[in-house]
Amino acid sequence: MKNRVKVDQLALIYLLIITGGKFTSLPSLLAGDLGHDSWVSMCFSFLWDGVCLCFLLWAIKLNSKANLDISAILNRSVSKVVSKIVLAIFFVIFVLRTNILLTNCYQMFSVTFDVSTNWLVFILPIALLSFFAIQRGFNAIARASQLLFGIIFIALVALMVSPLMEADLAALAPVGEAGWGKILANSYTRSFWFSDYIFIYFVLDGVKVKKHVFTPILVSFGIGAALTVLINAVFVALFGSFAPDFSMAMSKIGVFSVANTTNGRWDWLTLAIWLLSVFIKMIVFIFCAYKCVEKILEKNFAKVNLFVALFITATLMLPMFVSTETLLSTFIVWALIPFTIVQYLLPLFMPLLTKVALKKTEVKHE
Amino acid sequence: MKDSNFSKLQSLYSGQNDFRLREVTCGIPLKVVCLDSMCDDAKVSNFVLQPLTYVQDAKGLDDVQKRLTVGSGVRKPPNFYSIIEDFTNGYTLIFDDKDGCLSVDTRTAIGRSIAEPPTSMVMRGPREGFVEDMKVNLTLLRKRLKTPNLKTINLTVGKYTNTAVAVCYVEGIAEQSVVDTVVQRLQAVNIDGVLDSSYLARYLDVNKTALFRRVGTTEKPDIVVGKMLEGRIAVVVDGSPMVLTVPYLFVEDMQSPGDYYENSAMTTLSRVLRFISVIASVLLPALYVCLQVYNYQIIPLRFLITILNASEAIPFSPLTEMILVLIIFDILREANLRMPSAVGISLSLVGAIVLGDAAVQAGLLGAPAVMIGALSGIGLYTLPDNTLILSLLRLIVTLLGGLMGLLGVLISTLVLVIYLASLQDYKTPFLAPFAPDIPADRQDAVSQKPVPSMKKRPRSIPNVNDERRG
Amino acid sequence: MSNIKRVAILIVVVALVALVGESFNGSNILDRAIVLGIGIDATEDGLELTAEVVSPGNGTEQVGTFSKTVSVTARAIGEAMQRVAEKTGKEASLGQCVVLILGQDYYEQKDFSDTIEYFIKHDSFKESAVICCCEGTAKDLLNRGDALSQSVSLSVATALLDEAENVAIYTNNLLDFARSQSELHCTGFLNKVKFVPSENKDAQDPDKMQGFFSYSEMAIFRKNSYVCALNEEEVMGMALFFKDVTGDTYVCDDDGLLKTLKVNDKQIEQKLTDDGGMEINITLSVRFGRTDSEEVSGAITAKKDKEIAQKLLDDVQKQATELANKFLAKQAEYNFDLIKLHESYRRKQGTSSELANKPTADFPIKLTLKVEEN
Repeated sequence: MKNRVKVDQLALIYLLIITGGKFTSLPSLLAGDLGHDSWVSMCFSFLWDGVCLCFLLWAIKLNSKANLDISAILNRSVSKVVSKIVLAIFFVIFVLRTNILLTNCYQMFSVTFDVSTNWLVFILPIALLSFFAIQRGFNAIARASQLLFGIIFIALVALMVSPLMEADLAALAPVGEAGWGKILANSYTRSFWFSDYIFIYFVLDGVKVKKHVFTPILVSFGIGAALTVLINAVFVALFGSFAPDFSMAMSKIGVFSVANTTNGRWDWLTLAIWLLSVFIKMIVFIFCAYKCVEKILEKNFAKVNLFVALFITATLMLPMFVSTETLLSTFIVWALIPFTIVQYLLPLFMPLLTKVALKKTEVKHE
Repeated sequence: MKDSNFSKLQSLYSGQNDFRLREVTCGIPLKVVCLDSMCDDAKVSNFVLQPLTYVQDAKGLDDVQKRLTVGSGVRKPPNFYSIIEDFTNGYTLIFDDKDGCLSVDTRTAIGRSIAEPPTSMVMRGPREGFVEDMKVNLTLLRKRLKTPNLKTINLTVGKYTNTAVAVCYVEGIAEQSVVDTVVQRLQAVNIDGVLDSSYLARYLDVNKTALFRRVGTTEKPDIVVGKMLEGRIAVVVDGSPMVLTVPYLFVEDMQSPGDYYENSAMTTLSRVLRFISVIASVLLPALYVCLQVYNYQIIPLRFLITILNASEAIPFSPLTEMILVLIIFDILREANLRMPSAVGISLSLVGAIVLGDAAVQAGLLGAPAVMIGALSGIGLYTLPDNTLILSLLRLIVTLLGGLMGLLGVLISTLVLVIYLASLQDYKTPFLAPFAPDIPADRQDAVSQKPVPSMKKRPRSIPNVNDERRG
Repeated sequence: MSNIKRVAILIVVVALVALVGESFNGSNILDRAIVLGIGIDATEDGLELTAEVVSPGNGTEQVGTFSKTVSVTARAIGEAMQRVAEKTGKEASLGQCVVLILGQDYYEQKDFSDTIEYFIKHDSFKESAVICCCEGTAKDLLNRGDALSQSVSLSVATALLDEAENVAIYTNNLLDFARSQSELHCTGFLNKVKFVPSENKDAQDPDKMQGFFSYSEMAIFRKNSYVCALNEEEVMGMALFFKDVTGDTYVCDDDGLLKTLKVNDKQIEQKLTDDGGMEINITLSVRFGRTDSEEVSGAITAKKDKEIAQKLLDDVQKQATELANKFLAKQAEYNFDLIKLHESYRRKQGTSSELANKPTADFPIKLTLKVEEN
């Protein structure tokens, strides 16, 4: 089965996805909101992510033998209509998150790497790459992530060493200066950027559980969360009042890797390697969006369906009509409640829903 | 007896000069036929004709088989198809008047003698290489695997060539389902002729669009035995010195025949160098171009100034310049392969030096571009099985890097990695033991553990006994 | 695969390559004016920008740095950069720019906030680039390449980045300076580069000017406007407060023999006091100064027998305290804060306008300086 994935592969993909998209525009947005307390807000977001993840993993464990997919679980435990609504919300989330990642990448390439082009030509190769990956199966994506994980992780750490030594982390004191209420509220309003575990819903039927489910995934979550918080803390400690101005955190942070300025920006090569994780994140999100459409249509295409692919590609053209800033400050704020329901409440009920679905499956078999 | 096997055979070969027929009487009338071109005259005389002509009390074909034929390989072919197969392979056939048939092995041993294979020379280790004769090749394998567990399944492939093919494996190590798959795929081959084992490699690789070679080839019996001891299956084809092995992993291409006879630390170092050189070979030209066109900031300032000084007078864009260098290198390589060896080395050296130097002197190509192109071209040879495809991929990545900058390099890298990661055949992922990660198999991947520490067979290769010592 | 399908795929591939080739706009390095350093001077109605750009050799000379300077006048930096592009006929690229030099008239007379903002927000310009000011005009300074026989920008950047902290000079990069001008007390400094001519003894080219750069002075700024200058002694005094900056030398009289002691390690402890001030304990580790023998120092080094007399150590302590006090006095007098008094209190109390506006003189400082042999 081409969408089969082992737990350790899932853990590595999850780690790449956590670190993949959060070092582009999020640090500057948070710094703009909360100043040097932005890392505290991230901590709260990750704390809630951790709780939800535990429930989702519990559901995976329950589902390990039956390998029901998300739509089967929702169909059998709630109803078909609810299932389709949830899948539709997921689709919107994945498309929006991919759009934001694409916008950030576009900005990073045009601003940092001097590769400027029009939006269509920029997204086309990425969409082709994603559909090629979908064609080869999630298993291939998982294996590719496994292969690239080492080099991406080394690049990330290499990128961090020098800025970490340069930054005065004591400058982050006093903690909570922005006000705890504001920090918590910010965790909620920026929640759209988190809950990366949602991709797991769409590989539920492919997860090959052997012994441990919780340990590898929670360890990678812990490492990913710690790295993300650390990088965010280093970013605000280094750039202080200028942090909100640097919308591309990762491309700026590495500048301090260069002790002697005549060495060249070799840190950008490590940055480019790190960008592979952003691409993997986009591929996974597009895969999930594709799966949403498949499940809503109740079809299981043997090959990538051209019409679905074109439809998803069309949704990626959204930033040609609405700016990401507008999107973030309007639509995502309005849609925060349905988003929060599927991002943060659904995982809490997943073990229960899985149990109900499994029970109904057993009855059916009897 | 118009429809007898003998008359059918006779009519098939009528008018052929090398068709020999001798009628003898040894108590019963017999017809002895052979293909002169395929048989050893001495064997025919000594093992078949001499005993038959000296005796007059033979009671039937069974008696002839048991008492009168001296040759070691004597059998009764079950049908006409087998008769033809034996006949064309150099067996001498004995027919009685009831259309019974015996075939006696009188095959000629004309062929190349065993020598060190030119494709896998080693500093240390055995120097014997396979030859074109399957019997010799099987002998070379048996010589190293003196166990009854070495099994061979004999097949004949090719409508006209009737090429003998032997599927070899070690029973108790190789997984039977994989052996069955190999046999099934070979049995399903429908082709006029098999001129070399590489013909069959195409049929053993079920995904025919695969860019990368997914069937191992080697000319060295020690390598084949080593692989069979890991659970792989060898396919020996008559007429080809190349023995095929399946399943095949990408990492095998990075392993050299001499690796197992050197110090494991040195082997690890060599493999790391091969690994780096392959990645650099594919990516370096692309990076050089895209750094020049888009990301000059990455280049250290003093090197940037050197590049600027060197390319000031070049009339081409960096992309065109690099593509030209790569194509020239590929032309030189291709020409060198086809040139007679007497002029090959000198001409390729002259070609490389004169062309490269003249191009730089004339201001057509920059010295750094020539250097990077040459370095990349040489580096590809560390992966000998996939050199050509990597050379093509290098051109594509360079083109995308030049057109799209780092975005092109990243996307092409990801496409390649996802493609490679998706390949799987004979229950073996192509990129194992890295994707999927199989920690136990990393003992002999890029790094190599000393032989005494390798106690388990690789898990990525299906086997039924993972203990290396029984 | 049918032939029609093959042709269709070929057409699509060719079309895609053509589309990609047309849509991505790269720029060959030869089409870029790669700027190594920028100098800015004041003019009556704007500024004069001098850029040192790489000037490639003619193909045969493949080794060596060849540069030339281009000067343009404009009302703002953005306009000036545009003019550099016009003048050189190439796109001005700042990605390899290593130094930004402000000319004397420019930094003394003008508020250069817009200049700093331009460069800090510039996508290519490195925040880690060196920023400094100079005596006279930046244009003159950048044209001293012949006197040095090398690129001025590279030699200034190398000296300030690599060597300064070993000769007791604290340095800044663009980000640090920009932050110092916009955060809390809004004061910071720039190293002042001075060209010191030396006698030409080259018989082959007697008219050629020769010389070297000196970095021993500083200029202080508040909100990107000039406040005052620090002389050599005050700069040395300032260096005492920074842990990573060593190499300051003290000449002491040892019974008629003049001996040089060099600081090769330093320990600094800072404590906030109840009276709203700061207690600073500095311990200097010194050795006899010998030019070519940079001794390794710190806790993890082999012990050495003592060879410096106590009275010499006392002498160093007296001289260093005097220098530190001179610097502190200047700091209090001109109300700037380079030793981060305000920042230390912010970390304890949080940000407030009260703290930001509190004069430096209102922070009582208790300085204790010890000297020991390393």
